[in-house]
Formats: sequence, structure tokens, C-alpha cells
Amino acid sequence: MRIVDIVRLRFRSAFRRGAVECDLDEELRFHFDRQVEQNLAAGMAPEDARREARQLLGPVSQFKDECRDARKTGLIEVLCQNSRYAIRNLRRDPFLGFIATGTLAVCIAANTTVFSVVDSILIRPLPYPNSDRIDWISERTGLNQQDVGVSPDYFALRERNRIFEDVAAFNSATANWTGVERPEQLDVAAVTPQFFHLLGTHPLLGRRLTADEEGPGAPSVAILSYAFWRNRLGSDPKIIGKTIALDRLPRTIVGVMPQGFDYPRGTQVWLPATILDKATQRFPLPPNKPIFVVSMVALRKRGVTPSAAEAEMKRLTFEVRALYPAELRNRGFRQDEIIGATPLQEHLNGQLRPALVALTGAVGLVLLIACVNLANLLLARAASRHRELAIRLALGSGRRRILGQMLTESVVLGIPGGLAGMGLALLAVDALNALKPAVLVHYPAIAMDWRVLLFTVGLLLVTSVLFGIVPALSAASIQIHDVLKSSGRTQSGGRGAAGLRKVLVVAELGVSLVLLIGAGLVARSFLHLSQTELGFASDHLLTFRINPMGPLGSNYSGFYQQVLEHIQDLPMVRSAAVTRDIPLSDRDLPTDGVIRVVGRPVAPFSERPRINNTSVSPEFFQTLGIRVKNGRIFNAHDFAGAQVGGRPDFLQSEAVLVNETFVHRVFPGEDPLGRQLVFGPDELRATWTIIGVVGDVRSTTLGADAPSMIYRCTCAGLPMYGTEGFVVRTSVEPETAIRAIEQQVRMVDRDQPIYDVQTMTQRRDAALEPERFELGLFGTFALIAIILAAAGVYGTMSYLVSRRNREIGIRVALGATPARVFGLVFRETTLLLALAVVAGLGGAWALTRFIRSLLFGVSDVDAATFVTTSVFLALIVLAASAGPVGAAARVDPLTALREE
Amino acid sequence: MSKPTDLVQGTLDLLILKTLALEPMHGWAIAQRIKQVSHDVLQVQQGSLYPALHRLEQQAWIKAEWGESENNRKAKYYSLTRAGRRQLENEAESWERLSAAISAIVRA
Repeated sequence: MRIVDIVRLRFRSAFRRGAVECDLDEELRFHFDRQVEQNLAAGMAPEDARREARQLLGPVSQFKDECRDARKTGLIEVLCQNSRYAIRNLRRDPFLGFIATGTLAVCIAANTTVFSVVDSILIRPLPYPNSDRIDWISERTGLNQQDVGVSPDYFALRERNRIFEDVAAFNSATANWTGVERPEQLDVAAVTPQFFHLLGTHPLLGRRLTADEEGPGAPSVAILSYAFWRNRLGSDPKIIGKTIALDRLPRTIVGVMPQGFDYPRGTQVWLPATILDKATQRFPLPPNKPIFVVSMVALRKRGVTPSAAEAEMKRLTFEVRALYPAELRNRGFRQDEIIGATPLQEHLNGQLRPALVALTGAVGLVLLIACVNLANLLLARAASRHRELAIRLALGSGRRRILGQMLTESVVLGIPGGLAGMGLALLAVDALNALKPAVLVHYPAIAMDWRVLLFTVGLLLVTSVLFGIVPALSAASIQIHDVLKSSGRTQSGGRGAAGLRKVLVVAELGVSLVLLIGAGLVARSFLHLSQTELGFASDHLLTFRINPMGPLGSNYSGFYQQVLEHIQDLPMVRSAAVTRDIPLSDRDLPTDGVIRVVGRPVAPFSERPRINNTSVSPEFFQTLGIRVKNGRIFNAHDFAGAQVGGRPDFLQSEAVLVNETFVHRVFPGEDPLGRQLVFGPDELRATWTIIGVVGDVRSTTLGADAPSMIYRCTCAGLPMYGTEGFVVRTSVEPETAIRAIEQQVRMVDRDQPIYDVQTMTQRRDAALEPERFELGLFGTFALIAIILAAAGVYGTMSYLVSRRNREIGIRVALGATPARVFGLVFRETTLLLALAVVAGLGGAWALTRFIRSLLFGVSDVDAATFVTTSVFLALIVLAASAGPVGAAARVDPLTALREE
Repeated sequence: MSKPTDLVQGTLDLLILKTLALEPMHGWAIAQRIKQVSHDVLQVQQGSLYPALHRLEQQAWIKAEWGESENNRKAKYYSLTRAGRRQLENEAESWERLSAAISAIVRA
């Protein structure tokens, strides 16, 4: 409290000086009058009484000064004086103000925008009450290399852990919204009841799930997301108790979650998880019952740190896995993998961390270059003010006061730029949210909060001091005698200032080179990716998915076959195929499993190769244009024999195709045709015979190498479940076929929508999107950097030439040829450039490792990039210094000598 | 009338705070009061009184308000703040220690 009072009083003393002085006068007058009264009462004559009082009062002006000193307004007054002086100075030099404001506005806007993204994605807590204690439980399952768990672990973890208040499981899925005119696909999540309690969010309307709404007997209820309720159901306030049909099954709506509750991201409807059945999923596991893959989140008990949780998970893994070792081994789990617990925020947003860290660094370097440029500019201005400063020093001004004055000037100079930068950043953040680059789609909207404001204000101050400190120190250390003595030559500043400016320009060129190299590496990586051989022709290809309606676990083979035939009937369709995994869609990674080659020594299960596999219809290879390298494609006659191991999805003998990567890995130098593989555990006795080899295809992302693949056939007569993808080669533009295909699907099932409809070209573009985004930003930053650096070179070279004007004049007068003069100045430029290139290459060598994770197919110390960018920088420097160097060669000795 | 004793450095603050502990007063009254209570031994010069008051006010130990004086004139009244009261206790205590120490030496 006292501090507040003190600050308030100081400000009153500083800014309401008039009022304070009036008060003091009145106070003293009152004192004086009382003294006079007292004197009169003591019987003095009026004249004497006044004189006596005045005497007693003493030297009024002196103690008025003391009163003023007591108010301690010195610092504030100096600051105000400095600022007023600074503003006056700036008004006299609008060019400087204009350049500084423009440069800072751009750089501060870029930094603030990047920080807003960092803040929104990496720093700001997730919008759930318990967000700081929520962990993501993950294990790499053998089934499909995803970061998820399995159902028995869910029950075991709930019962046996000591560190979590609760564990919830969920599965993201899609469901068809039926009973409406045009059925559509909704993103749903099947969750266990404690899911909502764990996140801590209360519903906007209705209720959350109750403890008994779990397992196969759970009631048919639904909870809606705010966005779905508002956009699709018109914010119906009486929605609770109404029904919504999902996959033709009516569900009672029991709740609506508030805005911002968006987990798993994009979920429109939450349903009770029915597959998590205590009777079949909990230890002891009944034989031959499938276990399920689930996602899990857990709420740490208060006081349990993330690292403590991680340690406990190791112990827990062994305890849990010991419960059902055989079941897990049969499903290809590795015993040495542990169940991990990582903070949910890290799991959700951590993927962007490397890119964001790299961008923050890059944009910070841009700001650094701007600082160096401004420092250079201020140094030039300060040189022209040396006389004024020397006079001030001579008249008794302290060096510290001069330093303060100069720093105040740089802060005042920075403020308009900072404000403009913040305005620009606001626009940029709005644009980011509106355009929503594909990279950011799965992340929260970018918002500017108090952290961003604090960051920008701090950045502005740091920046101002940074670009102000060198000129300020140089100004505060001038030698009065030297400056005042040298009457005419003060314009150019001393030898020290010239050296300083050279150092600064080398520094900014070096930093620019680092940025150029960074952008160059990202560009090469982008080119590399965009030229990646897909392994198939991506034109005229339409792809989509179908999630068949009906209960999970039904056999949809007939349905898919019918849909395929209907599509093939269309005149604009050349060929069509079913596939579990559409290439370049990262939604579903191909499943993987362990194989053993028949006829080779039997290795322990955990040491056998793990190979991806997928199921396609025979037309798949022709439709995509994948070449058959060896052998032949399968047909329906290849499949016979009984199902094995009580598992409906495996035949005793099955014909498969493999890709070239598989051959290189498993049969190097051997003929793979006719060889047999045993898939999965030996007990399963599922034997696959290789009948053909096909070309490699980029099946997931562009950056990853083609995985070893085994293609099984959907024509094997095995039952098909759940979602399948379709690829259709059209004779027309693929977009124009969408309508017709949709109608064909409806002819099979009137309510069945198709979803995730994209041409292959779109998928390819989307796969390049993160790299395109990174390249755009890195490129922009490098461009700003190089423009700033070029301006800095131009300014410095002009300055250096003008400083040597007289010397050059004398040289020319004594007979130096223009070529010699040119060489003289040119040597200076190349020396600076050489130093800058050495510094920049060194800096890049040390720093590019931080973008290694963003690069594909290009080393972080790629020699070609380092050399090309250095040459580019050299060209820019030569172009920027061409003017000043040329001017030096044209110096007219008469003018130069007369000038000074 | 003998020359009034010069105040020991820093004790004026203590005297002012102590005087104001009774009731809010204006500068004139503070000076009169100190003179009266000390039986004319301590006479505070206006030249030191007002800077001291301003200093104490800037430290937020006392606060000033304009009020009506006994003879219906506008006068600036000073009063102790909560922080001032604490400061008074501290200063009184250290004064006790100091004066006890000095008397001990003088009497020895």
C-alpha cells in the first residue's frame, strides 16, 4: 500500500508541479501570518511584527528548494525532460523516425505473431479445469504402431495404479447421422463415464455420463458438442431429451458441452463406450475374445509430478503385463515396451514444437538484424551530434546523463514501431485464424492474451536498448577536446565509430547468411519432397471412404463388393478398387505384424521382422498404375482352404503380393516368388504364399520411405469390417464424378454417406502443406533479413566512402586512376563480405541442427546450400555497395578538397 | 534566552511523528507544540520543519489534507498514516537505545 502511495505522490509532484508549488506557498503564508498574529498579541507594532516574522521564517527560497528536493522527483523529471528532448530531436529527423518505425513494425509484428502461435499452442494451458494434471497414457501396440493402449490395460490401470485419481478410455470413430434428409458422417467419440469428470468440464445443458453408463449394457444416450448443437441444431434450448439417430439407432440427447470443450479434437458427439466390457476385457481374459485398442487419459493425483508418474508407470507396466503375457504376445506386443504417461498438452501439441522453436529462432534473428541496422543508423546520427554532446559535457552534464538521454531517445524512437507492430500482429493473427493453414487446423485458434502483450512490451524495451546501447555508449564516451577542436570533420565521427560500424555490418550480414541458409535448407527439403516419386499416377484419381452403417463386428464384404460393382458401372469410371489404406492419407497407418519365412531357422518371436500389411481388391494396382515387377496379381481362384486358429480373418493358405522394399529387406538377392511366410504367432498357422512383386508406393507421408508392404486380397472371401477406402480412376476431372459416385453408393444403401472425399492431387498437396507453411515463413524471414542487410551495407559503404572523400580527393589529385580508387574501396567491401561469410557459415553450422527434424532428404550442413546462399549473399552485397563504390571512383578532387 | 540546542540529525522526524501521533496538526501548530512540550528548549526552525514535513509525506509516513484552522483559515493538516505509526515505533525504540547509550557514557 505504501508503495502505491509513494508512486502516486511522486507522480503528483512530477506532473502537477504548479499545484504542489501553490500548496507550498499557501502553507508558508499561513505560517507567516500566524507568526505575525503572535507577535501582535505580544504587543509589537504591526511593522515590527511583520519584520520579526520574516526574520524568523528565514530564507524562503532556499528551503522551498529543500522542500522540492524532499519530493525526490529527480528521476521522473529527468525522464520527462529526456523524452521531450528526444521527441523534439526526432521531429527534426523524420527520415530516421520513418525508417525505425517501418523496420520495427515489421519485425515486431513478425515476432509477436510467431509468439502468439507459440503461446496458443505450446504455453497456454488446455481449456479444461484439470488441464495441468491430465496425462496421456500411451503404449506402442504391436498391432498398428499407434500411440494408444489396449482395453485390458485400461481395467488393470484403473485398479492397480497409485498415482492417478482416475483413468478414462475413449475411442474416436465416425458415425452416420441418419433420419435426416441427407445423411452425413459425424466425428464421434465413445468414452467411459469418468472421461468428463477427469477433464473437469461441466456441461452447458443437461448432464454428463453417469458411472453406470459403460459397457455393452450402456443406455443409448448422446452428449453433443457446442459447435454441433449451435451450427446443426440451431442452439435448440429444449434439446435435452430429444433423440438423434446415429447409424439408424436413436439416441437420447442428455447433455451439451460448453464452447471450448473439444477433446478428442473435432468430436461432434460423445457416446458411452460399449466395447469396454468388464466381463471379457478384464483379467482373467476369457479365451478367444478379441481385445480392443483404446486411447486413455488419466488424472494425476495432486502433488504427483509428470516425472514421478513416468517412473511409476515403469513399475506398473511390469505388473500389468504380467497379468496376461500370452494374450499380448499373440498380438505382437514387445515385452520391453512400457506404458508411458506424458502430459496431454505435450501429446496434443508437442509435434509442432520443433517447427515453432525453429521459427521463433529465425524471427528473433530477423529482429536482431533490424536492431543492428538501427544501431548503425543511430551511430551515423550520433556522429553528427557529437558537437552538441561535447558542449553539453563541457557545460557540466554527466556522462551518465548523456547515456540516459541517448537510451531514452532510442526507446522513444522504438515506441511508434512497437505500436504499429502490435497492430500488424493483430491483423496477422486474424488472417491466420481466417485462412487456417492446414498445419494449424488441428490446433486451437491463435489468440493474443496478456502473455503476448507482455512479450511485445518486453521485446520492444529490449530491442530499443539493444539498438540504442552501442550508439549511446559511443556518444557518452566522446572526448570533449577532440570534438570541439576538430571543427569541420565532426560530420563523419571518429575512427572508432567507423570500426564499430564495420563490426555491425559484418554481424548483420553474418546473421542474414544464417537465415538464408536455413531458408535454403527448408526449400531444398521442400523440393525434395515435392519431387518424390509417388509410385503411382496421381491425376484423375478420386478417393473417399465409407463407414458402413450397422453394428461393429458385422461382415460387410458383400456390401463393399456391391458398391464397387456399382461404381465400376459408371461410364466416367475407368477402374475402381477397395483398399483399407488410401495412399497419402495419414488417417490410417497400415497395420503391421510379425512374420517368419518358412524354411529358415526359427527366430524368437521378438526378433522377427515386423512388416506392414493392407488389404486391397485386385483392381487396386491397375487403378493406381502400380507396376507389377515380378509374378502376377491375385485373382479369386487363389483362395481356398479353411479358416485357421478360430480367427475369422485368417486363412490356412493365402496368396499375397509384396513390394520391392519388402524383397530388398527379407529376400535380398533371392527369388521371392513362391516363398511362404507365416504371419503372427506360430500357433495361428496362417501361411501366406508370395505370388507377385509390385512397385513401391508412398503410403503414408511424403517424407517417410516406402514401408515394406504385404498386400492381401479382399477377394479372399474373408469377412470385412468397418471403414474401407475407395480409389477411382476417372476419365473426366475427378471432382465431377463425385455426385454420380455418391448416387451409386446410395443405390446400395439409401442412408449411406461417403466421406473424406478428396482427389489424389489434393491429398498430395495436403501432404506437402506443413513444409509449404514452413518454407513460406522461413522464406519471408530470410527475405526481410536480406533486405535489411542490403540497406545496412548500402548505408555503411556510403558512410565509409564519404568519410574518405578527402583522402580519395587527394589521391586522385596526386594521380590515382579511377580503377585504383575503385579497387581501394572494393577491397574494403570484399573484406567485410569475407568476414561476414565466415561468421555466417560458422553460425549456420552451429544452428542448423535445430531444424534437422524439419528436413527431409537434405543434410543440415548441406554443402550445396551453404555455398549457393553464400554466393547469393555476395551478389546482394556487391549490388548494394555498387552505388557507394562507384561514387568513390567518380570523386572529383576539386569538389572533395573544397568541401572541407 | 539561550541559543536553542541544535537538533540531533534525524531526530526532527521522530519529533514530528510523535507530535502527530496525538492528532492531525498544521505546521505552525507542530512547531508550537514541540516548543511548548520541550519547555522552549527545542525550537524548530521553519527552514527545517517544512522540508522535513515534505520528506515524511513523500515517504508516505504522514499525509496532508487541507482543512480549517482555529481562526477559520485554510491550513494544511498533517496526520500519521499506518506506515507512519509503525515508523514512529521503530524510531522511538532506536532513540531509546541511542539516548540510553549516550547517557551511560556521559555519566560514566
